[in-house]
Amino acid sequence: MKFEYVVAFLISASVGIAGIARAEETPAEAPAVTMTDAQKAALHKTIETCGTCHGINGRSVAPTFPNLAAQTAPYIELQLHAFKDQSRADPDAQAYMWGMASQLNDATISGLANYFAAQPAAVGISGNVALVAQGKHIYEEGVPARQIPPCATCHGPRAQGMATFPRLAGQHAPYLLKQLLVIQSVLRMAPVMHGVVKDLSKDQMQAVVAYLESL
Amino acid sequence: MTGLHRLIICVFAAGVCVVRAAPSWAVPSFARQTGMACSACHTVFPELSPFGREFKLNGYVLDNIKQVTGIDIDSRQTLSLNQIPPISLMLQVSYTHTSAPLPDSAISGALAKDGDLLFPQQVSLFYAGKIADGLGAFIQLTYDGVGDSFGFDNTDVRYAHHFSFGGANSNDHELILGITLNNNPTVQDVWNSTPAWGFPYSLSSVAPSPMTSAKIDSGAGGFGQSVGGIGVYAWFDDHYYAELTDYISAIRGGAHPLDSTSTNVITGNAPYWRVAYETRWARNSLEVGAYGLNSTVYPGNTNGINEPLSGPTNKYKDVAGDFQYQYIGEDHLFTALGTYIHESQTLDASAFYGFSTNNSNTLNTTKLTAEYYYKRRIGGSVGYFNLTGSSDPILYAPAPVTGSANGSPKSNGYILEVNYLPWLNTKLQAQYVGYQNFNGQNGNNPGGYDGSNRTASNNNTVYLLVWLNF
Repeated sequence: MKFEYVVAFLISASVGIAGIARAEETPAEAPAVTMTDAQKAALHKTIETCGTCHGINGRSVAPTFPNLAAQTAPYIELQLHAFKDQSRADPDAQAYMWGMASQLNDATISGLANYFAAQPAAVGISGNVALVAQGKHIYEEGVPARQIPPCATCHGPRAQGMATFPRLAGQHAPYLLKQLLVIQSVLRMAPVMHGVVKDLSKDQMQAVVAYLESL
Repeated sequence: MTGLHRLIICVFAAGVCVVRAAPSWAVPSFARQTGMACSACHTVFPELSPFGREFKLNGYVLDNIKQVTGIDIDSRQTLSLNQIPPISLMLQVSYTHTSAPLPDSAISGALAKDGDLLFPQQVSLFYAGKIADGLGAFIQLTYDGVGDSFGFDNTDVRYAHHFSFGGANSNDHELILGITLNNNPTVQDVWNSTPAWGFPYSLSSVAPSPMTSAKIDSGAGGFGQSVGGIGVYAWFDDHYYAELTDYISAIRGGAHPLDSTSTNVITGNAPYWRVAYETRWARNSLEVGAYGLNSTVYPGNTNGINEPLSGPTNKYKDVAGDFQYQYIGEDHLFTALGTYIHESQTLDASAFYGFSTNNSNTLNTTKLTAEYYYKRRIGGSVGYFNLTGSSDPILYAPAPVTGSANGSPKSNGYILEVNYLPWLNTKLQAQYVGYQNFNGQNGNNPGGYDGSNRTASNNNTVYLLVWLNF
């Protein structure tokens, strides 16, 4: 194993552990609280609101809005908190989610995360075969020449996500591409990813997201 | 018809043919209430995006600001009110230049000033947002720079309830049921292919416009803001829309209760119906639908003559089809809109009183529009309109500028528009309206289209607009 791979693996592993540790601090891991009927009704109403864009079952139509179905609950919680405290500040976050998340309390955030995490995942959409194959290679092997570690290290071998590392499988390719671009340009703060995507070209991004959407 | 009678008709036609700017509003109070940018609900204001349509169908109630709340002892909510009222202002400043100057309003043979600045063309105050859970309103009060008057404008108050049901998670199906109380047929509609929110979103309020329009349309003959209606609607699985609203006359000002001095007073009820199907895929949405309005009216005051609100009536049956396609990309946005309105007129009252030649007429309206924007910042529209109908020498009588020499309502032409939006809530617009025919013909003949030597192209209009919402 090359030295770069070892470094990448160590970084990824440490980040993964940190992510899990952080996830453990989130409300999702807090002892379950029994909800009253009124609270359940309020949560259901909020789910309907989220569903306007994301699909009430978490599977959205427009690629502007990510699928939330089967997304990891810790990641959803982390992002909702980041929207609420406005620390996630990419353009769509500001336009849509700062407002939407501003009045959510911890219990609602936790309820939303658990609800969407439990929904059946979106079915993948197969794309250009060559592009998907290239993306699969990058996802699983990284780009050693540019010291880009495999995505699978954190996001899982089938891109199913892990704790605060989001599920990427079946996600809309245009959404994923946009996220890679705003992370690369640091419009969206994602410390782990900044280093990973720093030298990822747009062509390589397009290949990876085509692969992920196909899963 | 006597010469005097004809003259009275001409003078009155000129007087009442006030060009009405198409309603055209998007309101920052919604942004204040939801905490979301204009781009969430609009492609470019006032055109609604799919999310904007859902927001409206849900009753304008989505809120993301602190609420003043109250409950009773049974935990029933008694109040849920925005701490900050969803208020906003709109300012339109415009400049209009017609290809040939218009006649002086007082001196025969003299001409009005060439070019007209309206500062403001219009200022509107809106309450647009939530009133209580499920209950919201879009209420517009407008100062009109031409009329120098302040009055009630487009209003839509609605209550909606959102149901989701079916399957293990109660999320297989969604249904919104709502009630709307409004003052303009189609102002409650969520697609921009219907008249109230249709293209053009703003027009000059001083340039001449065709002398008539269908009752359901937004032109000179429409019912907008002179009726009140209450209706019910249903929106199922983000695909199927159905609505039934019943209107009666609600004419502002003048005699009340309405009497012979009022114009076009609905007798009984005027039912409006609407069905539509929308499908969405990726960044696209496509809607096809139909709508219509049946009305029976007493002409009342017509051409300066008062007729009683009894006896013969006029019946108008409007049936229309429409479509809307939207593509909302990251950088490129494209919309195509269209509607066709067929109006059957049974003019028993008008013929009886001598306001029309025929007992029955038809009026057909076609509007097609294509719009493109780059990054919601710069873009433009191309529109085509065509109004045709039965010839009726009395109904469509000659009058300088506003009349028809050959008794035909035929008007058609195109609208070209370039818009620049330095911010999402500001629009700088340059518009050109070109007429091929106006009130019957192109006017390149002795006497012109109006009998006063004006040609259709004399009414071609350059319209510059500064449109601010804040």
